[in-house]
Amino acid sequence: MDKIINDFTINIATANGTGSQSANLILLQSLFEMGVPVSGKNLFPSNISGLPTWYIVRLSDLGYQAPGDRTHIQILVNPATWDEDLAAAEPGTVIIWNSDTKKKTVEREDIISYPVPMSSLARKINPKIAKLVTNIVYVGVLAELLNIDQTCLESAVARQFKGKESAIELNITALGLGRDYFKENLTKTDPYTTESREVDHPQFFIEGNEAAALGAHYGGVQLLAWYPITPSSSMAESIIAYIPRLRSNDEGEATCAVIQAEDELAAAGMVLGAGWAGGRGMTATSGPGLSLMQEFIGLAYFAEVPSVFWDVTRVGPSTGLPTRTQQSDIAMLYEGSHGDTQHIVLIPGTVEECFEYGWRAFDYSERFQTPVFGMSDLDLGMNRWACEGFTYPDTPMDRGKVVREREAFEAFETFGRYLDVDGDGIPYRTLPGSGMAPILYRGTGHNPMGVYSEKPEDYFNLMARLKMKIDGARDVLPAPLLREEEECEVGIIFLGSMENSIQEIDDILEQTGMKVSQCRIRALPLHSEVENFIRRHETVIVLEINRDGQLYGILRRELPNDLVTKVYSVAYSDGMPPRARIYAELIHEKLKEVSQ
Amino acid sequence: MSDKPARAVKLNVLNEPKDSYTGGPSSLCPGCGHDQISSVIINAAWENGIQPHRIAKMSGIGCSSKTPAYYLGQSHGFNTVHGRMPSVTTGAYAINKDLLYLGVSGDGDSASIGIGQLIHAIRRNIDMVYIVENNGVYGLTKGQYSATADVGSKKKKGTVNETQPIDLCALAINLGCTFVARSFSGSKKQLGSLIKAAMSHKGFALIDVISPCVTFNNNDESMRSYGYVKENEITLHMADYIPHFNPVEEVDVPEGHFRDITLHDGSTIRLETISEQHDPSSPMAALSALHDAEVNAKHVTGLLYFDASKPSLAEDLGLVDTPLLDVPDELLRPSQASLDALNAEFLA
Repeated sequence: MDKIINDFTINIATANGTGSQSANLILLQSLFEMGVPVSGKNLFPSNISGLPTWYIVRLSDLGYQAPGDRTHIQILVNPATWDEDLAAAEPGTVIIWNSDTKKKTVEREDIISYPVPMSSLARKINPKIAKLVTNIVYVGVLAELLNIDQTCLESAVARQFKGKESAIELNITALGLGRDYFKENLTKTDPYTTESREVDHPQFFIEGNEAAALGAHYGGVQLLAWYPITPSSSMAESIIAYIPRLRSNDEGEATCAVIQAEDELAAAGMVLGAGWAGGRGMTATSGPGLSLMQEFIGLAYFAEVPSVFWDVTRVGPSTGLPTRTQQSDIAMLYEGSHGDTQHIVLIPGTVEECFEYGWRAFDYSERFQTPVFGMSDLDLGMNRWACEGFTYPDTPMDRGKVVREREAFEAFETFGRYLDVDGDGIPYRTLPGSGMAPILYRGTGHNPMGVYSEKPEDYFNLMARLKMKIDGARDVLPAPLLREEEECEVGIIFLGSMENSIQEIDDILEQTGMKVSQCRIRALPLHSEVENFIRRHETVIVLEINRDGQLYGILRRELPNDLVTKVYSVAYSDGMPPRARIYAELIHEKLKEVSQ
Repeated sequence: MSDKPARAVKLNVLNEPKDSYTGGPSSLCPGCGHDQISSVIINAAWENGIQPHRIAKMSGIGCSSKTPAYYLGQSHGFNTVHGRMPSVTTGAYAINKDLLYLGVSGDGDSASIGIGQLIHAIRRNIDMVYIVENNGVYGLTKGQYSATADVGSKKKKGTVNETQPIDLCALAINLGCTFVARSFSGSKKQLGSLIKAAMSHKGFALIDVISPCVTFNNNDESMRSYGYVKENEITLHMADYIPHFNPVEEVDVPEGHFRDITLHDGSTIRLETISEQHDPSSPMAALSALHDAEVNAKHVTGLLYFDASKPSLAEDLGLVDTPLLDVPDELLRPSQASLDALNAEFLA
């Protein structure tokens, strides 16, 4: 039997709240420390304890990070999903199962079965926490089965428990029990194994939310106003966690305020208040929270108040699937609030970009005096991704056209808060408390001097200037990332966390002989390079993780008519992180349809 | 040119004339009580000798929330969204705690759509003056009841209000608000003293100002109309009516006393000021006074409750002494070395 090395998927079925997350992260981290390209997807329920959870570990020497087409090794620990998971296993799947599970067994001839009395083994260590230890036992079994390096395993345990000796010792003992049980009682009959790999550049694992939180600190965030919501909470919590280290003086006094608001409306209001006062305020939320913030978003756009909103998207509409991933809010972010609006949206696809846009968001927001959105998603935000390190901001903080000194103020012949002095649509502002050109900011119509006005020409000119202002951001914002084939046959436009599946999709499509180019959009409004990319390619697919093709809708409206006809939408969402084959097949079908 | 000699302009401690504290012309209904409150605010700020540009005028949406345009023209302001002024103020305060935040709101803003934000601003004890211009009615949308309208009121268009009103002062006292007062738009002296005291207070100061609507409470069945007051001669504290051609006379009621005020058409209203024996440090005494007034269909005015001992939000936030606005960019952005250290730790 030929070995299958570093190219398979493990699916671990457990129940929420049993400590399985720690065990799964130890598995992931130990493989990562061996240099095996690996990704982990946590499919968790909206629940604290008891509901089914799956953790998918994909090993891929090709660097594929999507969950993979099928499960090669299934761990069965959770009786609640046992039958379903077993039935879903394709022939040849390895099933490692807890043989102590009451009324559950594995009776299939077409699979490779490894029964392990995980609960009894765990009870040997400590009966009181047997349930917790059960999880680490299956990691030990996997370690033996897959030849996982013991040093890497122990190092992963140490990292997970951050130096807590008793926890480290207990877990290493449990791993050993799992290993020994397999060695002494079972015979390996499957082809799967791992091998260490040399890594060109050292890397570490980090979640997108933590990366964006660090980025916010390097952007000098001064107010975090937030309301807890999955999957964004860990971004806010990371910001809070780093304040003592990064933002406090020796007396422990901080330069970043944190207010847990009473709801998302208040969080948005606080962010606007901070921007109005001259500070850098931000919030982190998800779709339902962003829905509540719409009124303030319109005010920020219309009254031109810098404000930063991070949306870690999840499956909508409504409460939707709160712990599943989707590129759900592209349209809402770009056109948020009633009336004509248009917003700057930064769309990271990697943890490095989460960090970078974390600080850049403030610069853009103050430069353009407008709300700026960061759009991440549950997959990017809450799963761990490999990172080579974060790059320090290469430019000083851009505070925009703020007049702080009296001398500068007096150099203006006429000062109007909404007067377009430079012809770029971006006016100058003074700050409350300065005594310079005070106005009453308002969400009602106003003239260039900031005075209430319902005059048709004032409204028309104001809206035209706002449009010009945001248009001016197009080529300042992060340009799309292009990976082009010379042939320029099929171009795929995509965004965000699809970055982690696109190469596999591309490879699947190229196996059919077509040449595929990639264009990852990293910001809205669209950069001019996007149009050029479309112009160069014969057929363009806009690929998204949603039902309706929200990005496609934006492209259709903004592209010149002659280009619209060669752009097609492929949008699909079932709540799962994007599996490459599903999207590749949908693209393939669409292209067939087009060529007919 | 006038032949009269120029009169010396009165100046405050900052050598500023009162003109430095005025705003634009009002667009409210002629005779509206809200305009009287605006003039009291102007006076209070001038008399307190506050630099006008160090005040931040905050408001939500509604008749009351339009008024910041009519006072303190040298102050920046923010006419935000309906009921959400407290959160915007909270955010601004986190960035610049050194400004005097002067919020003006209405009963629609504060007792309905924004009651949650009011409650949480009180809970956080943010340093601000929060004036409710309370008329029991939605003026800008033409006369619907608000949540402070009395049971049994009948408005111009029809139905009788059967829903219990919310007493914002009682609510605030129960929440531990550190400064709670009630006044009346015509009681310039009392209201002026309360606003001046509130401006000096460290913490959240709520002043519920009865400021009846001249346009939409003017029918005989309304408990705030002339007709009602005339026929029933009940000492209704809220029974004020200000015809646009006859600005209300100034009302100065000594502590523990009431006074009947005769309006232009001969009707009377009675205002009662809380007794000087009232202990404003006792929440129970304050609640009891409010309860007694309610039972007797009266409204009691004055400083009801006061507590200077609670820390305000600025102390709770654990920030550097300098307002965050004035912290230089180099201190806001952590150093390159700090990021290098983080990267190294992650890689270790």
